[in-house]
Amino acid sequence: MDLFEIRGGALDVIAEEAEHQDLSRDSTIMADREARPPRGVSTFQRFSVDTNESLHFEPCEDSLPSPTPPEDECDDNVFREGETEGEIVTVRNRLQGKVAEMENFAGHLEEIFLTVEENFGRQEQHLEQHYNDVLLTLSQRYDERAAGLEEEKKGKLEALYKQLLACGRAMDASKELIETAQKVYRSQDKRLFLKAVMPTIKRIEDFAKEEVELTLSTSLEFNTPLSDMSDVKTMMDSINVVPAPSAPVINPQMPNSASQTSLRVCWSLFSDDTVEYYELYYRPVLEDTPADSSCVPPVSKVKVKETHCTVADLLPNAQYELWVTATNTTGISPASEKALYMTVPSPPVIKQRECTSCPEAALIRWESGNTNPVDSYTVELSEMGTDGTENAITESIVAVPTCQCVIQLQTGRRYLISVRAVNIGGPSDRSEVITVSTTGTLFYLLEETAHSCLSISEDGFTISYGDEELPISAMALDDNNTFSRCVAVLGDLIPVRGRHYWEVEVDDGTEFRIGVASEDTERNSYLGANNTSWCMRHILTPSRHKFEFLHGGCSPDLRITVNPVRIGVALDYERGTLSFFNVDLEQHLHTFHCNFPNYVQPCFGLDNPGALTVHNGIEAPEYAFI
Amino acid sequence: MSLTQVSSNKCAGGFQKVFEHESTELRCKMKFAVYLPPKAETDKCPVLYWLSGLTCTEQNFITKAGSQVLAAEHGIIIVAPDTSPRGCNIEGEDESWDFGTGAGFYVDATEDPWKKNYRMYSYITEELPKLINSNFPSDPDRMSVSGHSMGGHGALICALKNPGKYKTVSAFAPICNPVQCPWGQKAFSGYLGSDRDTWQAYDATVLAASYSGPPLDVLIDQGRDDQFLSANQLLPDNLIAVCSEKKIPVVFRLQPGYDHSYFFIYSFMSDHIKHHAKFLNA
Repeated sequence: MDLFEIRGGALDVIAEEAEHQDLSRDSTIMADREARPPRGVSTFQRFSVDTNESLHFEPCEDSLPSPTPPEDECDDNVFREGETEGEIVTVRNRLQGKVAEMENFAGHLEEIFLTVEENFGRQEQHLEQHYNDVLLTLSQRYDERAAGLEEEKKGKLEALYKQLLACGRAMDASKELIETAQKVYRSQDKRLFLKAVMPTIKRIEDFAKEEVELTLSTSLEFNTPLSDMSDVKTMMDSINVVPAPSAPVINPQMPNSASQTSLRVCWSLFSDDTVEYYELYYRPVLEDTPADSSCVPPVSKVKVKETHCTVADLLPNAQYELWVTATNTTGISPASEKALYMTVPSPPVIKQRECTSCPEAALIRWESGNTNPVDSYTVELSEMGTDGTENAITESIVAVPTCQCVIQLQTGRRYLISVRAVNIGGPSDRSEVITVSTTGTLFYLLEETAHSCLSISEDGFTISYGDEELPISAMALDDNNTFSRCVAVLGDLIPVRGRHYWEVEVDDGTEFRIGVASEDTERNSYLGANNTSWCMRHILTPSRHKFEFLHGGCSPDLRITVNPVRIGVALDYERGTLSFFNVDLEQHLHTFHCNFPNYVQPCFGLDNPGALTVHNGIEAPEYAFI
Repeated sequence: MSLTQVSSNKCAGGFQKVFEHESTELRCKMKFAVYLPPKAETDKCPVLYWLSGLTCTEQNFITKAGSQVLAAEHGIIIVAPDTSPRGCNIEGEDESWDFGTGAGFYVDATEDPWKKNYRMYSYITEELPKLINSNFPSDPDRMSVSGHSMGGHGALICALKNPGKYKTVSAFAPICNPVQCPWGQKAFSGYLGSDRDTWQAYDATVLAASYSGPPLDVLIDQGRDDQFLSANQLLPDNLIAVCSEKKIPVVFRLQPGYDHSYFFIYSFMSDHIKHHAKFLNA
């Protein structure tokens, strides 16, 4: 404030004007201003209103009392003036900030005032309502009792009146009897007297026998029971105590509120209710047990103060039934409706050995990881940077209904692929991530197709045909998926009609058949001997190495001077070719031309004891698809 | 070395041309055919030299083999020279179909009266490539050679005698071991004299046995019903045996039902062009 004084005459300038003034100043002042610590603001206090609407009132810590400006600042120094100006602006800005804060605070106060007023009004109305209720009850009670008394009075009066009449009649009868007796008594005629006196005496005797009831037949007291005023009393009491809460309303499950073992449950209450705590009840819903079964799972209970709760230690991919009650000092509310929540599934397990890929796509297979079915799966993929870093998820394939998915990919990249299982509770955690490289075609051998004499190495890529005789029992295990004559095995090539390339390493002395065969190629025939397989065959004759390129039992007649020991196999569905190469020499050996209307699988057979190794995931050399 | 265009026909998007020039090696006017693929309009293209068989001129191949569509597709220039000097007025040059005119056998003759003109080996391997490289958009570092029958023999010896010069070689029904067959014996004794040792320098089977150089990928097609195969003029088994022993990569395909004609060549031309394209465009 004192800085305004230094400026002289500027003291009364109101903030808005100062602002206008400031707009014309040049920007160097601004820079200067920002570089300086704030100063020159007298002790100020700051109000802040935090989110829960409780008010804090705290002194503004960072605004120290302004140091008295040095005397020389009063000189007509151009720089000083600029500096002072800057300070003034700083101070003014701070003040403006404070004003804004105060306004804000005032606004909040106003809001609170309104709320208080509103609440008061509501309370008043509530009270009035309550008293009206009490009055109404009392007047009802009064009316009831008045009516009862009236009834009683009427009954009593009627009884008395009847008694009165009876008395009257008795008096009349006695009067008449007395008169008759007197008449008889006064009779002059002795004969008549004698004649009449006996009946009269008899009547008098009879009459005297009749007892006249002279006690009051009805009690004079009104029998008024003490009226039960307890309900009125409770009503009166309850005016001052809070009512028991009404039943809370449990919310339906929110998306992404569940985990594999926990559920976040929310509910709400009528705003007027006062609640001390809630009790949340839950139990798993077992689909296969009838409702009346004795083995209904036990109900668990948690006590919370908030209107939400996260229940933990649950089963994955399970449905839970939940309900909630509210309690305060007065009592406990009825239970809410029962809500059904679902925990998210366990993450699926990718079957690495059953995943296959090619430069254009990958086929990912996985196990659900859950005993009960899930709604769907989401496959997530991200491309790996050249430096091995993982990029953000670049693509998600949602609503995959089965445990496998073919994903279109870009050639020559590396992808990280993971799967989530999804139910209405949300998605599970990510499965383990597998890396898919689209440089070449990668497949594993279908061990279930392997001839019983064939053994497959641990890595799954070397097959060998041992010398030893196999027991008959091993033969007996053959099913119709295993090769029974040709000692062979199929590979599991991705069903994508593109280009595929793989290599096979063989021994000079190994007699082999390699190529492709339809998935349903006859298992009891030799590879190349039928119309569903195409293969290169190496035969050792006493004089030389012989090579055949067999399909339907026929081979072209050709001679290869250098024995290939590493053979490249190039399958091109688009052009309908299957080519074989001597990899070491980059030499083309033979090309089959066929449209391959059905998907084919790589096939590998051994005609004499030996071994061969499949090399996979290799980028196809350029010459393979000329 | 001036060239005279004899003919030019648009073909498969490019041009099939025939030129005439005065050969210094052969000391006569020579014709050769050149196919320029569409790619040659903008880029340097590799060259496949095609050597024809007995009695042929530059015309047989360009009219019968059906190579142009594939050459256009792969961007390959195909040069097809004549099979011998012509019009040299050497006594007896036109007497038989398998010696003299149309039967140069791709050797440099050392015997009179042939040694002045019959220098087909030098013509094919030196003069013609220079001529092509200086007059056409060809890439001198990418050349290969192929041929039929006598030309197959020529292609094989060109490749085997010049390791690395030709990126690859292929042949249709080549004379694989001329030293051992009547055609070869007649020609070599005429052109090279009676010393059989000199013949060996032009025999593919002999050359293969001593070949050392970059690996050569050889593709050979042979008709099984080729009358010259059964007449033991071609003797591919001898070559294959040597190549097997020397580990020279050869794929030799015996094509059932095919004879020695251009119908046979036409049937497998695409495989050969692809074979050459693999190495020329690598």
